[in-house]
Amino acid sequence: MSDDRAVPLADPATPLLLARGITKRFPGVLALDRVDLEVRAGEVHAILGQNGAGKTTLMNILFGLLRPDEGVLYLRGRRVQFRSPHDAIAAGIGMVHQTRRLVAAHTVLENIILGHPRARGLLRLRRLRPEVEALCARYGVRVDLDARVWQLPEGQRQWVEILKALYGGARILILDEPTSALTPPEVAGLLAGLRTLVQEQGVTVLLVTHKLPIVKASSHRVTILRAGRVVARLVTAEATEDVLVRHMVGRDVAFRPAEDVTAGRPLLQVNGLWAYNDKGLPSVRGITFSLREGEVLGVAGVTGNGQEELAQVLAGLRPPAAGTVVFDGQDITHLPVLQRWQRGIGYVPADRSELASIAAFSLVENTALTYHFDPAFTPRGLLDGAGLEGLTQRIMAAFGVAAPHPYVRARHLSGGNLQRLVLGRVLSRAPRLLIAHLPTQGLDVEATAFVRGKILEARARGAAVVLISEDMDEILSCSDWVAPIYEGRFVAILSRREADPETVGAMMAGLERGVRVP
Amino acid sequence: MWELLARSLEASTVFLFAALGELVSQRAGTLNVGLEGLMLFGGTVAFIAARLTASYPAGLAAALAVGAVLGASHGFFSITLRGDQVVSGMGLWILSFGLTTYLGSPYTGPLGLPRMATLFGLSPFVYAGVALVVVSAVVLFRTGAGLAIRSVGENPLAAEASGIPVAATRYLCVIWGGLLAALAGAVYTLSYNPVWTYNFLMGWGFVSLALVFFSMWNPWILLAGASLFGLMWQLSLSPELVLPGVLSRYVWRTVPFAVTIPILVVISTPWFRSRWGLARPEALGRPYPAD
Amino acid sequence: MVGRYQITLQARQARSASSAALAALLAIVLALALASVLFVSSGSGVLAGYRVVFSYAFFNPHGAVATLHRAVYLLLCTYAFLLPLRAGLWNIGLPGQVYAGALAAFGVPAVLGMSREAAPGWPPGAVIGLMILAAAAAGAAVGSVAGVLRARLQVNEILVTMMLNSILFWLVSFMIKEGGPLMGATAEGESFTLPLLLRAPLAGGIPVTAALAAAGAVLIDPLLARTALGYRIRAFGENPQAARYGGISPLALSLLVFAAGGATAGLAGYHTFAAIPGVYKIPGNYGFYGDLSFYGLITALIARGSALAAVPIAVLLSGLSLGARFAQGMLRLPFGVDYALLGLLMMTFVASHILDRFRVVWRRTPAGVLQPAPGDSRG
Repeated sequence: MSDDRAVPLADPATPLLLARGITKRFPGVLALDRVDLEVRAGEVHAILGQNGAGKTTLMNILFGLLRPDEGVLYLRGRRVQFRSPHDAIAAGIGMVHQTRRLVAAHTVLENIILGHPRARGLLRLRRLRPEVEALCARYGVRVDLDARVWQLPEGQRQWVEILKALYGGARILILDEPTSALTPPEVAGLLAGLRTLVQEQGVTVLLVTHKLPIVKASSHRVTILRAGRVVARLVTAEATEDVLVRHMVGRDVAFRPAEDVTAGRPLLQVNGLWAYNDKGLPSVRGITFSLREGEVLGVAGVTGNGQEELAQVLAGLRPPAAGTVVFDGQDITHLPVLQRWQRGIGYVPADRSELASIAAFSLVENTALTYHFDPAFTPRGLLDGAGLEGLTQRIMAAFGVAAPHPYVRARHLSGGNLQRLVLGRVLSRAPRLLIAHLPTQGLDVEATAFVRGKILEARARGAAVVLISEDMDEILSCSDWVAPIYEGRFVAILSRREADPETVGAMMAGLERGVRVP
Repeated sequence: MWELLARSLEASTVFLFAALGELVSQRAGTLNVGLEGLMLFGGTVAFIAARLTASYPAGLAAALAVGAVLGASHGFFSITLRGDQVVSGMGLWILSFGLTTYLGSPYTGPLGLPRMATLFGLSPFVYAGVALVVVSAVVLFRTGAGLAIRSVGENPLAAEASGIPVAATRYLCVIWGGLLAALAGAVYTLSYNPVWTYNFLMGWGFVSLALVFFSMWNPWILLAGASLFGLMWQLSLSPELVLPGVLSRYVWRTVPFAVTIPILVVISTPWFRSRWGLARPEALGRPYPAD
Repeated sequence: MVGRYQITLQARQARSASSAALAALLAIVLALALASVLFVSSGSGVLAGYRVVFSYAFFNPHGAVATLHRAVYLLLCTYAFLLPLRAGLWNIGLPGQVYAGALAAFGVPAVLGMSREAAPGWPPGAVIGLMILAAAAAGAAVGSVAGVLRARLQVNEILVTMMLNSILFWLVSFMIKEGGPLMGATAEGESFTLPLLLRAPLAGGIPVTAALAAAGAVLIDPLLARTALGYRIRAFGENPQAARYGGISPLALSLLVFAAGGATAGLAGYHTFAAIPGVYKIPGNYGFYGDLSFYGLITALIARGSALAAVPIAVLLSGLSLGARFAQGMLRLPFGVDYALLGLLMMTFVASHILDRFRVVWRRTPAGVLQPAPGDSRG
C-alpha cells in the first residue's frame, strides 16, 4: 500500500461525487479493493491505470451497470444506490463507453433522443430537433443530425455520445478511454471541447485512460489505480510523467528496439489492391507495397481505415476487388486460405476469440485449427492426438500460456492467454510471412514486450512481417518501414529514419505533411 | 374473378398476421423459426373452442391465449435462459405439429358454424390486417416505443445504456408475435378454410417467415409481399382459372414454395445486401447479454 | 424471488458425458410421463396403456420386426440430420430428401421398363444397385441445394429445406397419382408395386439397408472424433468464422454435410418404400413417412449428435411410435398418439437441453443487498 493512500478524504458533504471503500469481486478475481474516489464539481478528474487495474469496473459501478459488493456512493453529499444506468442518468451522470454504444443503423438524432423521457409516445421530431440543434450550438459541435451513425468518423460518433449524455441532463460525464480510436487531430479537438464543457458550462468530467499525455494535457487531478487499488491521488500539475508512470506500472519496463537485420530476397509484392468491406463500400483503395524477407512493415492507423480488410485480403479471407498479390514469385491473389497456410503465410487477426479460436474446443483441438491439413499431424487422414498434444505443450511453454493442462477449453483462457496461444500457434508454423493485426491489444506491459519480442524474433529468422497497429510505440519500435494508412490508402511509406511520431500521427489523420498536434 | 381475388385477399391476411407479428419480434431481435407451429396451435385451438361453444369470439380468445403462452415460452427460452433461438423455435414447431395432430383429430371435418359475416364481400380480418399494418408502421417508425424496439434489435447494449429495458421489450415483442401468429392460424381455421385436417397449414408458417425476410422488416413491403403470395397461393389451388389444362394440379401446388427459394437467393446476394441489407436487425437471433 | 430466497440460473462450465446421458433419459421419461395423460384422458389406465405399447413393439413377433424396420428408417434419418448438425446446420429437409430418394429408386425400373413382373433385360442385382445409388444421389442432390445456398449466400437453410419439403411432397403426388409416370396399375393413388425380382434382398427377414444403418452407427462417431475431415466438420459447427480462418472451405464443407445427409435420407426413402417386406411401393399416405422422419431429428438431438448413442434411442422411439399406433386402435384412442409423442419429446428435449446448460441455485437473500445488475463489463 502506498503512502498516498493516507491522503485524508474531505467531508462527504463537500465533493460532488464520493465513493468510499468500493469493493467488487468477480469469480476468482478481486477487481476492486476498498477503492475511495473523490471528484469535485467542475474539474476534469483523470482515473489512470493499466489494463486490468479496475478502471472500467469502477466506472461501471458509478454508472449503475454493476453493484459494488461493499462500499458506499455519495452524490452531492447524499448517499445514492444505482440499480441500473437509468438511476445514474436520472441523477445527472452520463457515460461514454470505450466501445461506442450507438445504434449504427439509426440517425444521429434518433440516437440522441433514444431513451429520453421526451421521446415517449409519438415522436415529435419537429419539436425535438431544434432542442438538439440548440444543444449542438451551445457546445460548438457540428454534426449532421440526419446522418446514419455508421457513416460518421469515430471522432464524431464520440461527440454524438457526449451530446446524448448532455441531452439526457448529465452534469457529470464519465469518459472511458475516449482517445483510444481517435486520430491525433481528433484527440486535440476532443480535449479542447472538454475544456469548453468544464469551464463554460460547469460540467464535471471523469476521464478514464491509460495514456499519460492525455492525463497531463487535460486533467486537474488524477487518481491512479493498480490491480484494483488506489495507489495515488495527485494534483496533475504537480506530478511529472515519471511519477505517474511509476505509480501506474509499479516498476520500469523497457522495450527492446528493433535491431538492424539485413533484408533478404523480395517476398511479397502487393500491387494496386482494392477491396470492399462488409457493407459493400470500398475500404482498401489502391494499396501498393513490397516487402523483403526479414523486414517489418508497420501499418499505422486508427481502426476502421481499411486495416481489417487489408489483412483479410492478404490472408485470403476476403476477395480483392482489384489488384494483385505476389508471394515468393507466384501470384496468390485468389489462392484459398488453406494453401496460404501451406505456403507459409500466417495470420494473427485482431479478434482472437471469435476469429482465431474455438471456445468450445480444447487447446489441443485449437492447435489443430492450423494443423488439420498438415500431413505430419494427420497420418492417413487421422488426427495425431499425441503429436498435437506435444505441440500444444511446447507452444504453451514457449509462450507462457497459463493453463493447467492442454485439454482445457479455450473459453476458460483469459484474453491475454488466448492471444499468446494464437500467436504461438501461428509462429510455431514458422511462417515466411506474418500478418499481425493489433497483436498487443489488451495486453499488459510485460506481455506486450514479450509479444513484440516474438515478432522481432520471427523477423530475425528471416520472416517478412506486416504489423498492423494503432500504437505508435509499437510501430516505431518494431518496423523497418512505416506506412500510415488513412481511408484505405497508404499516405506514404516511410523508412524508419523518416518516421517520427509527429509525421506518422499527422499522416494517420490523412495529412500528407507532418503537422504538430498538442 | 372477384371470388378468386376475395379468396386470395383472405389467404394474404393469414400470411400477413403471422408475418407482421414475427416482423415486430425480429425488429426487437428475437427470431422464431417455429412460426408455423404457433399458427397450427392457434388455429387448432380456435377451431376446437369455436366448435365446442359455437362461438367465433371464444375461438379467437382461445387462440390468443395459446399464442401468448407459446410466445412467452419462446421468450423464456431465448431471452431469460439465452438459449439457441433456433432450437427453441424448432422445438415449438414440432411440439405443435405433434400435439395439434392429436388434439384436433377428433374434430376432423368442417366447423359447422354459419360463415362469418362479411364486410363489402370481404372477411373483416382483411380490413383488420390492413389496419394492423398501418398501426405497426406508425408504432415502429413514428413513436418512441418503436425507436426503443428497433434499437433493442439493432444494438441492445446501446439501448440498455440509454435506459431501455432490453429483456422486457423483447418479451413484449415476442409475445405480440405469438398472439398474431395464433390469430393467423385462427383466421385460417375459422374463416379462410373452416375445415380441420391434420397439419392443415402445410408450410404457410414457413412462407410467412420467408415473407418477413423479403419485407426488409418493413410492414408496407410486407403487405405487398403477403398480397402477392396470397394471390399466388390461390392461383396454385385453382390454376385452371388462368391456364386450364397446363400441367398437373400437383405441379402447380409447388409454385409458391418454388418461387420462395429464388427470392431468398436474390435477397441474399451481395448486390442486394449492399443496397438494402442495412434493414436486417443487427442483433437478430443473438442472446443478450452475450456469453 | 420467492420469499427471502432468490432462485438464479447459473451457466454450467462443463458437462460430463454421464450428465448428458442422464438428461437424455430424463427427456424421454418425462415425455412418456406426459404422454400418459393421453391414456388417462381416454379412460384406459396408464400402465395398461404402456403395457399394450411395449408388448406390441418389442415382444409381439410381428411388432418387433416392424420396430426393427422402422428403427433402420429412423437411424438413416437421424444420420441425415446429424451430419449437418455437427457442422452447425439444420437439415429439416428430411421428408423432401426421403421422397426424392423414393422417387429416384422407383424411377430406375420405370425408366428401364421393368415396372412389370415380366419385364426383360437387366440383371436384377444391378438394377437394385442402381436403385440404391439413385436414391442416395437424389437425396444428396436435394440436400445440396440447401448446402450450396447456405455456404455461398448465407441463405437460411431451414427455410430452403422446408420449401423443398413442400415441393417434393407435391411432386410425389404428381408422380404417383392421376396418371403420373410412377402410378400403379390400379390407379388408387399409389405407385406401382416393385416386381419380385427387384425387391431388396433379405437376410433373416431383414433387408440389406439395415447394414447401412449399422455401418453408420459404428463409423460416424469415430469419423467425427478422430479424422481430419471430422475435425473440420466439428470446427465449422462450433465456429464457422474460425474454421474459415483455419483454411476450411465453407462451401466444400456445407456441400459435403448436406450431400451426405441428403444421401442417407434418400437411402431412408429407399429402405422404407422399396426394401421393407409387405410394402414395396409408394403408398398414398406417403406423407406419414415424411412426418415420421422428424423422429430422426429428435433422435439426433437427444443423442447429442452421437450416431452410436442414437441406436438405442431410435429403437425405443420406433417401438413407441409403432406401439402407440397399435394401442390407438386397441384402446380406441384418438388418432395421432404417435404425433403427440413426437411433440412431447421435442418439448422435453428442448427443456432438458437448455436447462442442462444451467444449474438452479437457491440462495437466501441477505437483507439490504439488491439483485445483481445485468452488467457484463469488467474492468
